[in-house]
Amino acid sequence: MSTKDSMAEELLATLTETGFDKAACSVSEHELHELQAENGDISLLRTAFETDVSLTGIVGNKKASLGINRTDDETINAAAINLKTMADAASPDPAHDIAEQQPAEQFQSGIDEPDYDKMYDRVQKVVEYATGTYPTLNLRSVNIVFFRRRNRLVNSNGIDFQTQSGSYRVSLNFTSKEGTDTSSMNYTGYSTHHLDTPIHATNDVDDMLRQSTEQVRTQHIPAKFMGDLVISPHCLTTFTGFLLSRISDLSMIDGTSVYKDKLGEQVAINCLTIHSLPLSEDLTQGYFVTDDGYKAEDLTIVENGKLNTYLLSLYGSNKLDMERAANNGGCYVIDAGDKSFDDIISSVKEGIYINRFSGGIPNERGDFSGVAKNSYYIKDGTIQYPIQETTVSGNMVELLQSIETISSERLNSGESILPWVRVSGVTAS
Amino acid sequence: MQISEIDLKKYSNQFTSYTELRLQENRTEGIGLLNGDMIGNSRNTSGGVSARVFDKGTWGFSCNPDMSNEGIERTIQMATQNAEFLARRSGDEGASLPHASGSGNSDFTTSKTRLTQQEKIAFMKQVDQYVVDNCPDLASRRVSLNCLEMEKKLYTSEGSSGHNINTRAIIAVYLTMTNDQGEPVELGKGFGSRGQFEDVFQSLDDCKEEIDNLYRRLLDKKQAVKPVAGYHDVILDSDLAGILAHEAIGHTTEADIVRSGSVAGDYLGQQVASDLVTLVDFANTYAGETLPVPLYLDDEGVESEDAVLIDKGILKSFMHNKETAQHFDMPLTGNARAFGYHDEPLVRMRNTAILPGGDKLTDLIASIEDGYYLMHPTNGQADSTSEFMFGVQMGYEIKNGKLGRAITDTTISGVAFDMLKEVTMLSDDMVWSCAGMCGKKQPMPVGMGGPAVKTKVYIGGE
Repeated sequence: MSTKDSMAEELLATLTETGFDKAACSVSEHELHELQAENGDISLLRTAFETDVSLTGIVGNKKASLGINRTDDETINAAAINLKTMADAASPDPAHDIAEQQPAEQFQSGIDEPDYDKMYDRVQKVVEYATGTYPTLNLRSVNIVFFRRRNRLVNSNGIDFQTQSGSYRVSLNFTSKEGTDTSSMNYTGYSTHHLDTPIHATNDVDDMLRQSTEQVRTQHIPAKFMGDLVISPHCLTTFTGFLLSRISDLSMIDGTSVYKDKLGEQVAINCLTIHSLPLSEDLTQGYFVTDDGYKAEDLTIVENGKLNTYLLSLYGSNKLDMERAANNGGCYVIDAGDKSFDDIISSVKEGIYINRFSGGIPNERGDFSGVAKNSYYIKDGTIQYPIQETTVSGNMVELLQSIETISSERLNSGESILPWVRVSGVTAS
Repeated sequence: MQISEIDLKKYSNQFTSYTELRLQENRTEGIGLLNGDMIGNSRNTSGGVSARVFDKGTWGFSCNPDMSNEGIERTIQMATQNAEFLARRSGDEGASLPHASGSGNSDFTTSKTRLTQQEKIAFMKQVDQYVVDNCPDLASRRVSLNCLEMEKKLYTSEGSSGHNINTRAIIAVYLTMTNDQGEPVELGKGFGSRGQFEDVFQSLDDCKEEIDNLYRRLLDKKQAVKPVAGYHDVILDSDLAGILAHEAIGHTTEADIVRSGSVAGDYLGQQVASDLVTLVDFANTYAGETLPVPLYLDDEGVESEDAVLIDKGILKSFMHNKETAQHFDMPLTGNARAFGYHDEPLVRMRNTAILPGGDKLTDLIASIEDGYYLMHPTNGQADSTSEFMFGVQMGYEIKNGKLGRAITDTTISGVAFDMLKEVTMLSDDMVWSCAGMCGKKQPMPVGMGGPAVKTKVYIGGE
């Protein structure tokens, strides 16, 4: 399937000979092709060829990990010896382990080669479109990156997974300026297996560009209020991210997670269902094998508001004597609701339509505050005007319990499929 | 073959246009303990060769982990082909770059005997044990060590050359207690400096004061009250002044951001701050001391110069790479930096700081009737409008010139060029931080510094 096929096996044999009780080895070859326009000029073609070798060894329940990107004999032999020295120096912990044996398997997704002509054409066309349609818009950068990865993962329990994937990542970064009036910067992007659709016609890219041009003139909200937040898919993971991080290893193991005893309990309003679907064909950024070396499975994390699973790694599950998650998380898909975006806006008495959240890291309780960027004031069911210097604050735990409506429309970024969500009880000032 | 053994000049006969040829290796090391359990014990080495070629206003870049003769030649050829591909389609015959022929060499590796992994782990266990012995009633604790070495060797078609090795070692400590309501309360901080572990952490004594201060503040934070949301008089502690210099002003004065429409472009030569404020992106040295992230030669072969961004309140200049210096017809500053061998150089900060004033911190606090003393930033973001936001995980009320109760986590925000005009006092001390990692397409270690600053900001909350 790939070059360097035998290297992973040879490295594993070296680690075993070095004296490890358990070992895993991953060899990846990456290829990156990036075309970038800056300030309207197509000015960079970057190609990168990389090799990553990741070695993990456990001896006497003591674990070490080492990464290198050169594969000559001298480097590899030194790496095996270094890894053993590192593991010998570590503290033992019986929770360290590697994945059990599973049938060998090969996985493939996406495309194999970049199409430079199409990449160039798509970048050129979106620059021309933006320049012609929105004269006050400045496309700071447009990038198309083709990324291909070939990986083989083997371990001393007998797993042998080979993966090959390739996709494009499109990203845009922009501001608008009229005289000395400047908009907040904004950005958007998506992953795709093809470049058949013009960039500005994909997802809501055109709407984001248009919004930027009207955000050069912003207003303060009339007064501090407690009201609704209509969260766009572009920043929804900021608000669901607190839950997803607090059901993962670090917060769960150190015991500070507010969700530590909530399995099977209602952690959100019952209209919220969050899946993690790395195997979904609707997503281009899926994966087939977990970081621990298990074949990944799709899972539903929150179902009708109830917490179905924690996102524990093999180490976390061993440490806490709880079930290991069927995947690494990511590839989030939130079920659609039954109201249109327009219906959601028209149902808001007073609120903020938030497109980007510039906030501090929430504390362990979930309290958050931050600035609503590229966002709008809503009054009596109508979007009024773009806002400036407006802070929104609340609590992430309560926010998920305060979801009022989920839109029927969803945005597929290739990395996630997310709706617009209306929540209540957020303070704007 | 080691980077130091490779002669890059011999490849200059393969340059067909302006070319930068760079060898680079990043070496990282991490040790992590969570409640005494070792959750991290890792090292990573990533290196290779890159070439960037300028042809008729377009850039071709390529890289390869193979630093052999064949690998280097192949990389130059590929970068040249990439530039030619773009030049054929969108080249500008008249495009040029400012000339720079410089040199710069530095080596911040230790001259001491390197410690073994076992000795470093033993040190981190001592740090953890110190926390156990001196910080009672914790719900959880995390200590970690992160070391970074960046080795770069550069040769350009204009004859610039240099070999530089930058290093830093950072220990981070996070402590969590449970408050009277049964809720977790956390406080954390990273500390360390330029240098390898052996030079930065010579004994446990190098950590005790930081841990003691962190725990004392956590005890205060356990009883914290929520700050009142709104526009307040504040003292930004020096660690916040550093992030203010970096995020709120630094990013808006990076010339590529200015070129994209940052408001700083409209303010050049104008009063943008109180005349107390002088803000500089230092290349490598301040007051005779080598700074946290010293840069002598940037990745375009430009000898690094200090960039005085604000001088006594007046916006004076921007930070440049060759392209932006050409565009704005300004002097080169040597701010082009790439994080990995596979990355192209971008306009990046080095050691960005507000210069100190003449007041004592106690006088700053005494001058506020009703406000806040803010410290311990978590994260920060800037904008083309100069609107900024920082997360703040520790602070105190100031009532009638005296520190009062601790406050809960919050965010502060404002418009930087408005907020700087409100600066009325600066303390006379200067504190540098080395723990920062800036994000702008690529990560990048940066230094930040400053005194305590008295100004007004918006404090978030209910």
